[in-house]
Amino acid sequence: MNKRRMLNEKNLDAFVQDLINAGTRVISPIRRKEQGRETATYAAVQNPEEILLAGPQPALPLKDVVFPPTETLFNWKQVKSSIRIKENPEGFKKTVVIGARPCDAAAMEIVDRVMGWDYRDELWFGRRQATTVLAVACSQCDDACFCTAVGLSPTNARGADCFLTPGEGGFEVETLTSKGEELLESHHGRFTQAKDPAKTQPAELENKVRANLSLQPEKIQQWLERHFDDPLWKQLALRCHGCGACAFICPTCHCFDIVDEPEGIDCGRRRRNWDACQPALFTMHGSGHNPRKDQTARFRQRIMHKFNIYPARFGEILCTGCGRCVRVCAAGMDLVSILGEISYMAEEAGSTS
Amino acid sequence: MSDTSFEPSIVAFVCNWCTYTGADLAGTSRITMAPNVRIIRLPCTGRIDTLFIIKAFERGADGVIVSGCHPADCHYTAGNYHARRRFAIFRELMDFVGIDPLRVTFSWVSASEGGKWADVVNTATERVRKFGPFQMYPKPAEYVGE
Amino acid sequence: MQELRDLAKKLFQEKRVDAILGYEIDRRGGVRPAFATQIEDCDRLVFDHRCVHNLASYVSPRRTHVADLGRLGIVVKACDARAIAGLIRENQIKREDIVLIGMRCGGVVRDPAISEPLDPANVAQRCIGCEQREPTLYDHLVGAPKPAPAGERRRNARLSEIESMSPEERLALWKELLGRCTRCHACRQVCPMCFCERCVADKTRPAWIETSPHMRGNFAWHLTRALHLAGRCVDCGECERACPAQIPLGLLNRKAANIVAARYGYTVTDDPAKPAPIGAYRLDDEQEFIA
Repeated sequence: MNKRRMLNEKNLDAFVQDLINAGTRVISPIRRKEQGRETATYAAVQNPEEILLAGPQPALPLKDVVFPPTETLFNWKQVKSSIRIKENPEGFKKTVVIGARPCDAAAMEIVDRVMGWDYRDELWFGRRQATTVLAVACSQCDDACFCTAVGLSPTNARGADCFLTPGEGGFEVETLTSKGEELLESHHGRFTQAKDPAKTQPAELENKVRANLSLQPEKIQQWLERHFDDPLWKQLALRCHGCGACAFICPTCHCFDIVDEPEGIDCGRRRRNWDACQPALFTMHGSGHNPRKDQTARFRQRIMHKFNIYPARFGEILCTGCGRCVRVCAAGMDLVSILGEISYMAEEAGSTS
Repeated sequence: MSDTSFEPSIVAFVCNWCTYTGADLAGTSRITMAPNVRIIRLPCTGRIDTLFIIKAFERGADGVIVSGCHPADCHYTAGNYHARRRFAIFRELMDFVGIDPLRVTFSWVSASEGGKWADVVNTATERVRKFGPFQMYPKPAEYVGE
Repeated sequence: MQELRDLAKKLFQEKRVDAILGYEIDRRGGVRPAFATQIEDCDRLVFDHRCVHNLASYVSPRRTHVADLGRLGIVVKACDARAIAGLIRENQIKREDIVLIGMRCGGVVRDPAISEPLDPANVAQRCIGCEQREPTLYDHLVGAPKPAPAGERRRNARLSEIESMSPEERLALWKELLGRCTRCHACRQVCPMCFCERCVADKTRPAWIETSPHMRGNFAWHLTRALHLAGRCVDCGECERACPAQIPLGLLNRKAANIVAARYGYTVTDDPAKPAPIGAYRLDDEQEFIA
């Protein structure tokens, strides 16, 4: 493990082309122009030249590679008086992600905990197994990033099978898992031995991110546990629209809805679709009663789940500090300043108790 | 692309008081009409939500007919006036997203216009036959893996 | 700015409001909605070209946690006032239950995080060609007169471009755009005119609009929403701004608005007395498409 190789730009293109030719789905950040602005997005690559490894963070996370916005659990067809069922008709496509950001790679591993907790989610793990993740160190950050505050960093390799660090004319590739090693070995012609010792990455980017937010997760968790009824929640929730964009765009949010869709008199399919705790319908009971009856309760729930409940149960923060929720929020909720505020109150509470 | 062996599936949403009665008249008068139309009876065109039209296409229809009382003759006074505005906007929106609005035929057919109903049915059927099957959504049978 | 803050404080002192809804500077140097619940909060209020948000979204009675604050004073641009007028017209709020602080506006940027001065490259598309520098629906009018913003009407050009495509090209375009939709419904949640307590998309018996983010569900949802907003959408752009998949939803809503303007001579107005075109009819409405 932890074998180091070098990959130059030309061989990277060739490697990607090899994978595409072999029918593997290759997902990478590619350039996209959106309403006059340059952004990046993870997408299936048709041409290695589209790949953008040192650009802005892709606007949407990698979540849909292992957990698509909609997937078929099974088809059914009624045949005379019996019902024929076909499970997971879509199968698991062999996929290689090249250029995952550390925050996106780590997210999948964090969600593994709940997906394998009381019931093994075969679809999640089937896709996880079919996917090899080559993460790349970040070269850009902005004022919404806060990965360092939740135990990660722009160069953290958590969740990656291989990790790419930019170097001269290409990348240094470090293998971290046997799956990663297997992939690189099978394309060994594209890689060369790393000769020089591993370079330590400059801390400049990490420091920038650290400057955005610093906190002690255990203190946050404790404050949350003891302040369920704090007036802060009402104050924060006033500007929240309950739109759920934050949850849909979050790499660690994983709630889903299950629906049955008839597609004819005698056939149909059961699907699993993304869902979010922010609109009122999420906790609406059949009786009409809603235990989370307003946005105050629903917004509080989101913070509680990510920074108290999930850590209490699985020992992991359900957040990788990617900052997408901060960027996408139409109402400027800004999780960074919210966590900062809670951190401050946690300090105050700690010093007076 | 006209496929003479293609038999279009057409759903007709019609108002009870005028068009449905007119269709009955066409039937009792033994007027020959294309057999491709399935009629769904509603109290008034004002009841016809645009979602019915969308749903018909989702469920395998190749074309839709919407028909009701002539203006000033609505059994509920103004239902067809409301419907008229709604459908006018809807068909231009459909066109804008690339769904051919000519797959949906709108008409006013009164209770005494059995002949007109037959015309509407035959015209709509031939038009949709020329357009071919509605292929935006895969037909239900294609979803279910066997 | 000081004029706004002084007015806000006066409203609190005279007990004319329980809370004021305006804008404040956020951590990232942009602007976001602000709720002033006491007189000291008024010093945070700002108004400039970054004040993109349509605060009328918060006024719907559906938002019980905001309604609980009591009587609201709200900062509105002319476009926002149209949404307030819409809510009054459709009996969601009473005119006397709200205090409107009208702002003179010279256009806003397309993204509230943009801190550069307003220029033709960063101005919001809806501001170009806007003829209302101030609302006509207000209780107080604040701010110095500002000139109309300059810029290219790229959106109109894009609409024309789509209209001149062939039906196959149009369908391919919308399949790609709406294919990105994950049915988060952020567009609906932020829209001031989407105030139904039970949205048709949430109904399950029967499920007229499938909730899955596949083509059937997405087309049904977006076509229906555009239709339900025809003649009601105030073009505040919140839906487009909120969409996490960056779908240009404004194109659909603008198309519906153009259809309504062309056929029924109606454009959204901040005069609540003017009746809306849907729910109304004329005996001589065009019916060239009806056999």
